[in-house]
Amino acid sequence: MTPRVLVTGMGVVSSVGLGRAAFWRSLVEGRSGTSAISSFDAARLGRTLAAEVQGFVAGDHLTATETKRAGRCAAFALAAARMAVRDAGLHDGALRSERASVVLGTTMGEADICGLLDGRWIVEGPDAMSPRVLPKYAPYLLSMETAQAFGCRGTVLTLPAACAAGNYAIGFASDLIRAGRADVVITGAAEMLQELQFAGFVRLGAVAPERCQPFDLDRQGLIVGEGAGVMVLESEEHAVRRGATALAEVGGYGLACDGFHITRPEPSGAGVIHALRDAIRRAGLTADEVDFINAHGTGTRANDAVESTAVRAVFGERRVPIASIKSLIGHCMGAASAIEAVSCVETINTGLYPPTVGYVTPDPECDVAVVANVAGRGRADVVVNHSLAFGGYDAVVLFAKPDRLPSPDARGALS
Amino acid sequence: MRPLAITGLGVCSPLGLGWDAFRAALAGPPGAAFTTTPTSFSAPAHPALRVAEIAHFDPRPIVGDKGLRNNDRLTRLLLVAARLGLEHAGVKRDGAFVAHGPADVGVCASTAYGSLEAIHELDAVARLEDPRYLNPARFPNTVINSSVGYVSIWEELRALNATVTNGPTGGLDAFDAASLWLDAGRAKAVLTGGAEAMSEGLWQAFRRLGALDERPEVWAPGDPRSRGLRLGEGACLMVLEDLAAARGRGATVHAEVVGYGAAFEPAEPSQPMVHVSAGALARAVQYALAGVDRARVSMAVSGLSGYGLLDGPERAAIAESLGEVPVRCPKAWMGETLGGAGAFGVAAAVGWLADGRAGDCAVVTSVGFYGNASALVVRRPE
Repeated sequence: MTPRVLVTGMGVVSSVGLGRAAFWRSLVEGRSGTSAISSFDAARLGRTLAAEVQGFVAGDHLTATETKRAGRCAAFALAAARMAVRDAGLHDGALRSERASVVLGTTMGEADICGLLDGRWIVEGPDAMSPRVLPKYAPYLLSMETAQAFGCRGTVLTLPAACAAGNYAIGFASDLIRAGRADVVITGAAEMLQELQFAGFVRLGAVAPERCQPFDLDRQGLIVGEGAGVMVLESEEHAVRRGATALAEVGGYGLACDGFHITRPEPSGAGVIHALRDAIRRAGLTADEVDFINAHGTGTRANDAVESTAVRAVFGERRVPIASIKSLIGHCMGAASAIEAVSCVETINTGLYPPTVGYVTPDPECDVAVVANVAGRGRADVVVNHSLAFGGYDAVVLFAKPDRLPSPDARGALS
Repeated sequence: MRPLAITGLGVCSPLGLGWDAFRAALAGPPGAAFTTTPTSFSAPAHPALRVAEIAHFDPRPIVGDKGLRNNDRLTRLLLVAARLGLEHAGVKRDGAFVAHGPADVGVCASTAYGSLEAIHELDAVARLEDPRYLNPARFPNTVINSSVGYVSIWEELRALNATVTNGPTGGLDAFDAASLWLDAGRAKAVLTGGAEAMSEGLWQAFRRLGALDERPEVWAPGDPRSRGLRLGEGACLMVLEDLAAARGRGATVHAEVVGYGAAFEPAEPSQPMVHVSAGALARAVQYALAGVDRARVSMAVSGLSGYGLLDGPERAAIAESLGEVPVRCPKAWMGETLGGAGAFGVAAAVGWLADGRAGDCAVVTSVGFYGNASALVVRRPE
């Protein structure tokens, strides 16, 4: 029998709050995390704002050894993981098992360490790269640190899938449970704001000067963000056995690749359409049963238009409420879809749709039912989480209220 | 694990471009690919400067020259391997699909560090000139999954595209991901494997870590006297398909992938985070062999690199798990290719099994730098 995959705990590090309660409260109140960048001087680039996680003290969440060892990205991941494990009611040592795995996503991993080492090399020569610092750089260290912290002994993997990394990780983690390879998986993604990456996005012309306005006619781009979103996924049997509360079920996910352009989405939206339809199909549902869409919604001209095209193609005339919390927490790159997955599950648990702030003038190219400026309320049994990414990646994960979906075996495929 | 077919092998390596060149080189003595005067970067003579690189690498004879201008070395290696693999599998001929279609074929590949060359290039512009001068057409190269993303663009692959990063084990872990996705019907064929590109940054980093071979007279993967590894580069992408479906379309099945296992062992409190676990590899091998007749295992194709810190635990785990089987070391030919290593290990196993003198079942092993380990079982087609 294929097990259901349940979300039993969540943790968040974001510009609008640490922990799921603070994060969610900020979202529904429409509080923006955008502020002047404090971690580096961005003045020359003409863009000085980002959704930076301020006030994060690694030592509040990590041991002294972990704090000394981990880069900012791994520290975000580990802090969010600790919150998620605590939220799931798992005691210390519960994950020291061959049946416990870690699957996390990112775009760049420890970009700060890489930048530090590279800077020393460029300015002082290669011998200035410290052998004590070098082992702290690897894009996969966030998963290793997390597995090390909890003693997980199963599969430990990092999926660098750019802005879709969270959805890739959650999808793959759910596969491990459905395939019977794990009982519990810590999954999600983390990303940190870093100077070179920020400059790159500015040079691509993707960064807005003041605010991110997804789906608005006058949108001018994204605001770069950072943070981490981590979930504890469990097989239903494992969760029931220990009396855990199920927050949601991971229903299914869809993947596609545009194969079109490294940064621009393919104009017809064929890849997004495929990923969205596949996620719904693998959950054993039809498009009519989706209640809310968490948009990728970057606030860039191309993304929002293509995403709207895909939504119309899949849902037709039905106006499914859609919101982009990137208008509040910025585009957290590799962490984006993981943090937004947490928001999706909160929507399922509260019936509240977070708002898309800055939505003033509808864009005929984005003819979708935007939850504009203030939080909405409505049916929220089935929620889809969109992500589009560098490399033409399209990934959609469907979350549902526990017991809302047919059994996995009735769905007829490994979802 | 449901058996999967390897129907094509795309190899872009210092041993040659293409499957036949790779196999032929593996039949000869190791060592020929290493040079002390690399063409991919310049560095002063140094006892640790001995790498296996594709000298004067030029992808144009394989993939043409249109659109290559802004691609980095890692991307170019992968593009060559992808084109060769798809053609070898009979999925494409002269660039056009002749089996499957764009929506049926995906790619899943590993890299340990992405393009350090691209990051360094842009960092230098930002720090020595001005971040406003960053070339936006080159910026995507700094993003780890870009290189694999370009494979889908060049080859019109519209099924899933995924990058795995897990250090040296990633090339085996990519097979696991591809296998789960094939089982779930997300693609009919997945180009699977890994790559790493030679760059000065990579070499300098390993040199500074003291991990490189500086005593060529005793260098040999698995030899306890050997104290360091030698870096290599390359891309290896294999077309992985459902076994029955592959036979159904009349494809040549070069090997079957029949088992995979992965495990992690946390460091003890007294240990540094960087550690190698024999226990993790022993468990990974055990998982990989579930459902496989152990008596048929005729060799281990190891990840032994010549770096004693890694080699000791790997040798111990192989001995404990597989007994007295012959242990082969592809890195003696290729060097340490990190994210590509697992895939090159699989390709080497396929080559050695194909000649019929090495039995018919190989366990490919790999250990990571932080307590992770993976194993894959490959057998000659029945």
